[in-house]
Amino acid sequence: MKAREAIDVLAQHRGDAVAVCALGMAANEWWAATKSEDSFYMHGAMGFAASFALGLALSLPQVPVWLINADGSLCMNLGCLLTEASQGARNLKHFVVDNGVYQTVGGLPMVNDGRTDYAAIARGAGIVRARTIDAMDDLERQLPGIAAEDGPSFTVLRVEPETGFLRTPPMTYEGPEMKYRFGRALERRFGIEVFGPQGY
Amino acid sequence: MDVTTRIHAELTRCGIKIAASLPDDWVAPLIERIAADNQMRHVRVAREAEAVAICSGAFFGGVRAVALMGATGLLTCTGELATLNLRHQIPVFLIVSQRGTIDDHRIYQEVQGRRTIPLLQAYDFPYHVVDRPDEVSSIPDAFETCRMQKRPFVLFLTRRLVKGEGTA
Repeated sequence: MKAREAIDVLAQHRGDAVAVCALGMAANEWWAATKSEDSFYMHGAMGFAASFALGLALSLPQVPVWLINADGSLCMNLGCLLTEASQGARNLKHFVVDNGVYQTVGGLPMVNDGRTDYAAIARGAGIVRARTIDAMDDLERQLPGIAAEDGPSFTVLRVEPETGFLRTPPMTYEGPEMKYRFGRALERRFGIEVFGPQGY
Repeated sequence: MDVTTRIHAELTRCGIKIAASLPDDWVAPLIERIAADNQMRHVRVAREAEAVAICSGAFFGGVRAVALMGATGLLTCTGELATLNLRHQIPVFLIVSQRGTIDDHRIYQEVQGRRTIPLLQAYDFPYHVVDRPDEVSSIPDAFETCRMQKRPFVLFLTRRLVKGEGTA
């Protein structure tokens, strides 16, 4: 299973979900698949897309929030699993694209050298609905159920490592523009006020 | 009204609905006061940068949030404050114990006392020190300044404020 194929299937089943993407490969592939402005693409704070997604999920409890995480980012902040488990946000789905390498910087191997069962770690942290999927037909069969189940859930998408610096290019906007495009998109979709009457 | 209750009341006046925290002993009473408030969602985190990112996500949900931590915790999350909040101009309001001052005689806090303010100045993060109970009423102004300046804003609580006169 390749990362792009897996992300494409996620995008097809996304429904009304708002997405938060870890920086690098996950963000770039999600942008390539969806071109969506109601997604937040991290450009820094590696590891903390998970916490950002939790804050968003707690703020909009009626809105499904999908976290498109990556193994490198997860390993930067494994403690996020404890916080997710304790908060029990029913609208939060955590996906991890696990390619075993730091792809964006040239495909260098991860610290754990493929020995780690992230789903077992998530279960140990208290997230009951946790699994690993490593084949496209399994992903297509299981994803409707994952999308429909209560969160928090944790799904590892084990994909083949691919090499090449920035194989998929990043989104075409950044910094403050990303803040305003994302915030305005959520204002339009949900009738909420992210920015005040003077725009800040 | 004790100072913890006053600070909690001002946070309520700001419209804060989510508080994410990792305690040190000076902010622990405030955190427990917030945890007892069922109108404010309290999120206990495993690392301070989680609190920063949770508040940032809440911002986009249109919900006002605060991150609470000790000075040591603030030092651990400066990278995330720079690459998430400074980069995207996302406001985040932090309440932090001002450790390492002359009345804080804990040896493991002395570097925080010497280097925290210069570090904030290097990043151009605004801050405000609340030292006396009658200054707690400045919290809504500080929160609004954080929103206007669109960056991390640190509200420091001094030892005199949270522990009273004297040293420890």
